[in-house]
Amino acid sequence: MTTITVDNINSRAELKRKTAKPLLWIGIMSIVMFFGGWTSAVIVSKGSISDWLSIHLPNAFYVSSVIIVLSSIFFHLGYLAIKKDQKKTLFIFVLLTLLSGFGFVISQYLGWKTLYENGIVATGSSSTNASSYLYLITFFHVLHLLAGLISLIVVSVKSKKERYSSSNFLGVELSLIYWHFLGALWIYLFIFLKYIA
Amino acid sequence: MSTHHHHHEDFLFKYIFSTDHKMISKQFLITGFLMGFIGMVMSTLFRLQLGWPGESFWLVDALMGSWAEDGVMAPDKYLSLVTMHGTIMVFFLLTAGLSGTFSNLLIPLQIGARDMASGFLNMLSYWFFFVSSVIMLISLGVEGGAASAGWTIYPPLSALPQAIPGSGLGMTLWLVSMAIFIVSSLLGSLNYIVTILNLRTKGMSMTRLPLTIWAFLLTAIIGVLSFPVLLSAALLLVFDRSFGTSFFLSDIYIGGQVLEHSGGSPILFEHLFWFLGHPEVYIVLLPALGITSEIISTMSRKPIFGYRAMIGSMLAIAFLSFIVWGHHMFVTGMNPFLGAVFTFTTLLIAIPSAVKVFNYLTTLWKGNIVYSPAALFSIGLVSTFISGGVTGLVLGDSALDINVHDTYFVVGHFHIVMGLSAIFGMFAGVYHWFPKLFGRMMNNKLGNVHFWITIVSAYGVFFPMHFLGLAGVPRRYYTNSNFPLFDNMVDINELVSTFAIIAAVGQLLFMFNFIYSALRGPKAPMNPWRANSLEWTAPVEHIHGNWYGDIPEVHRWAYDYSKVDESGEYIGGEDFIPQTVPLAENEHDGGGH
Amino acid sequence: MAIIITVVVLLLIVSGVQILKIAELRAISQGEKIYEVSEKEGKSQAILMLVFLVAFMGFFVWQIASWGGLLLPVSASEHGVGLDNLMNVTLFMIIPVFIITHILLFWFAFKYAYSSKRKAVYFAHSNKLELIWTVVPSLALTVLILYGLSNWNTIMKPINQEEEHVLIELVGQQFSWGARYAGEDGKLGRADVNYIEGVNFMGVDASDENSNDDVVVKGEFHIPVNVPVQFVMRSIDIIHSAYMPHFRAQMNCVPGLKTQFNFTPTITTKEMKEITQNDEFEYVLLCNKICGAAHYNMQMNIVVDSKEDYEKWLAEQKTFAE
Ligand code: HEM
Ligand SMILES: [Cu+2]
Ligand SMILES: [Cu+2]
Repeated sequence: MTTITVDNINSRAELKRKTAKPLLWIGIMSIVMFFGGWTSAVIVSKGSISDWLSIHLPNAFYVSSVIIVLSSIFFHLGYLAIKKDQKKTLFIFVLLTLLSGFGFVISQYLGWKTLYENGIVATGSSSTNASSYLYLITFFHVLHLLAGLISLIVVSVKSKKERYSSSNFLGVELSLIYWHFLGALWIYLFIFLKYIA
Repeated sequence: MSTHHHHHEDFLFKYIFSTDHKMISKQFLITGFLMGFIGMVMSTLFRLQLGWPGESFWLVDALMGSWAEDGVMAPDKYLSLVTMHGTIMVFFLLTAGLSGTFSNLLIPLQIGARDMASGFLNMLSYWFFFVSSVIMLISLGVEGGAASAGWTIYPPLSALPQAIPGSGLGMTLWLVSMAIFIVSSLLGSLNYIVTILNLRTKGMSMTRLPLTIWAFLLTAIIGVLSFPVLLSAALLLVFDRSFGTSFFLSDIYIGGQVLEHSGGSPILFEHLFWFLGHPEVYIVLLPALGITSEIISTMSRKPIFGYRAMIGSMLAIAFLSFIVWGHHMFVTGMNPFLGAVFTFTTLLIAIPSAVKVFNYLTTLWKGNIVYSPAALFSIGLVSTFISGGVTGLVLGDSALDINVHDTYFVVGHFHIVMGLSAIFGMFAGVYHWFPKLFGRMMNNKLGNVHFWITIVSAYGVFFPMHFLGLAGVPRRYYTNSNFPLFDNMVDINELVSTFAIIAAVGQLLFMFNFIYSALRGPKAPMNPWRANSLEWTAPVEHIHGNWYGDIPEVHRWAYDYSKVDESGEYIGGEDFIPQTVPLAENEHDGGGH
Repeated sequence: MAIIITVVVLLLIVSGVQILKIAELRAISQGEKIYEVSEKEGKSQAILMLVFLVAFMGFFVWQIASWGGLLLPVSASEHGVGLDNLMNVTLFMIIPVFIITHILLFWFAFKYAYSSKRKAVYFAHSNKLELIWTVVPSLALTVLILYGLSNWNTIMKPINQEEEHVLIELVGQQFSWGARYAGEDGKLGRADVNYIEGVNFMGVDASDENSNDDVVVKGEFHIPVNVPVQFVMRSIDIIHSAYMPHFRAQMNCVPGLKTQFNFTPTITTKEMKEITQNDEFEYVLLCNKICGAAHYNMQMNIVVDSKEDYEKWLAEQKTFAE
């Protein structure tokens, strides 16, 4: 059997280096369209309903916003560290990011709880469209965040084992891009829900 | 023992969980064709009902069982069939089957890559598609019947089982299947885009890409941008159906009681649906246009005319397809000003489409056309693209649409421009690239007969529908016999149904040719059509990595057919110059001006 | 039955395989490359292209000749006349395009079939040509767009409330229609699904004084000729679409939403019977949005009366209060 010579561009690592980031970016684009669909739905619904109820966002959502910004900063610091080959620092920052990620989820949960206790429910006869959208959008954001958390766990385990170095940190970068995106998405959703919905 | 085990694993990974783009392409093709066959049988069944309403048919009885007492289908089951037919044809055959097959086969081979960017995602893409197909088929057998609200699944009809039985479990499965389908499509599209942008071989600049690749690229981009919106709409519908929200529902009295839902708007769903729905028709169409551009050029032994204009018009079509969705909603009571805007954007699409048509015509002009079945089907596509396209000017005009909206005029229009064009493109592609898919040749003579039966009967089915529509016959009617107004439509309906049966039988010829040739057909040479693009430099047998040795380098565009020097002799002595041949001195590359 | 069919199909397949195999072997033994299209074969396909062109155009003309008379009769509404004109202008543009491009397509397909004596012309682009076929369609479209929109704006223009007109509410439900006249006060009483009960299938609010003189009918409704009619559409369950093809009118009926459409009927039912030479002729309101199993049978007759007849008919109907 003839062997296939594998030229440089097609060696596996090279392939991954070339394609992983664009794959992620285009994936992110489709997530943007997904939430774009819902936020435009909110606008259309609002336009067609005369008694649209604006909902006061719970304080916990403000806390969440701060947490998620912090977590992004942590992760970025970790990223800068690994670029300088500081493997231990990376691990610490990734851990901090992970913790704040969980903090975000908890804070969101508290937010929903407050809403619920104030009689704002997602479904059923006492719900309104505004409240359904609010729950749905924030909930699906958290769902997407779970994927981010999983990648963070992987990255933290790998960085604990010192698998990354200044010449090999693609995994960190991918996770970072996605995490920043989730942060930005939340800030957008937050502003949207607060001022537009 | 151990060798046996090894062998087993081999089989599993070679044929089932393959990550090789060529195998995945075949998987898409075969699954797509199977679904398409089912969709076609459904259309034959409901055409029997429409042609001879209330008559009992053995075939209907045999295939539909309890859905058709005494061989006459029940009215709501008619709607199930129509809905499933539409869904299967649009999504399963012509989205996954068409784009999945040829994007997978041709992208790596034509751009000079060893495989897709991610073979794993690619495999997932197929398996999601497979699972969603299975679920869609299972939904045919559940209680209450399959989804029956039309392929556009407008709520409240699709949301309330009280309104039609198919909106029960059948609709739930439809939604589950489509959600999985969307994931499959997104994974596929991601891969296609990244592969095209990042893995082209040396010398393969964007302006040297074959038009097929441009078409696949734009299709994938449209998919990535529009399918997520359908997913978001479908999820809202799921919540309305199962969790008591009211995004789309409001003020409904049904089954003797007032529902609790309030405040929602069904129109919202239409907006979200058509934001995908219209781009979807181009997801279906663009790959077919790309395929035929390639084939028409190759088989007429001439460069494609206006390569850049072809790309430009595809870009324009892709862009415009996102701002025309309102033309499906002219009579929903939308703001008249908005209606005017959508009329304007919709009619604009006619311009790039016209450019494409004239470029096709000019490509054929003074060509030297070799009539393979693929060439026949490609010419057929140009014909259907014109005949179906011109009626778009009627439907896109908000004023005219008032009286033909949702009539058979629409059914005629979209079947010709989208259904037939895409199907013809797909057949053309299969005949043309069969040697790449199966390493064997299809039988040309059978292919020719298949083409003539298909185009004649297809026009026989869909052309008369325009007249039905102009006479005011609404679509999605179980029978036209309940209105005295339509009594004289009987002849037309019988004619249409007769042609539908001929069309369906004619496809058996193709199936036979396909299966026979895949198993027994004559072995294919490396470049049977004497074509320029890279896939014909790859060995006939399927190998992992596509080429022995290095990937060939590209030196010119893909359309140097019948290129002559000053003395009027073919450059290189043949009427084609493969992309791998370096430019001679003083020779200009065709793609760039 | 099933067994016989299976056997026949199997036999057909087996003999098909044999025939193909033999044909291929023979071709190979004669030294042909069987996948190659011989010049002769190509020529026969080319001739078929021409035959198809003629047949297709013939089919087109035949359809117009034999079915042209089955289409909708002249428009029975004022705006419909303009709309029919617009349709004719559009057809006048697209039919020639359809015919000419087809002639070119199949003529080229016939003329330029492969011949080993000829070389194809290497002609890859021409800015001039491409400009022409961008600009010419654009101009034609500009005409269509402007003409179309002027029609659209006339049709969509709300009725001047000062002017004499009739206000009718059309209500769709699975699977029938109801119509409600505003009555003497010219106002429709409030209505909502919550008021639906027994014969009050439309959910008219009896406590609203505007409701009292409203007139609710089923099965058939009348409108006066040459008086603008303002329709308000509503649905109490699924989306329906009120389609009145003879008046070139259609508007969806959406639960939770009120839509509207207005037109002025110009031909009475009686006159239309004469025009169509059909004594049975009736105007109809159909449902044109899939709404459930009996969607195909959701209808209501429309009668266009002279003004006197219309008023007489209306006076005979029971008001809501009664
Ligand atoms: C064998 C050839 C085919 C025949 C005879 C056929 C016939 C029909 C007919 C008569 C209807 C309208 C039924 C009704 O409104 O009551 C219909 C609906 C439809 N068909 Fe086909 N069709 C064929 C192939 C295709 C193909 C290739 C496509 C792919 C685009 C397609 C897509 C659709 C869609 C989207 C609908 C609308 C379904 C709905 O109303 O929800 N069909 N077909
Ligand atoms: Cu559209
Ligand atoms: Cu209806």
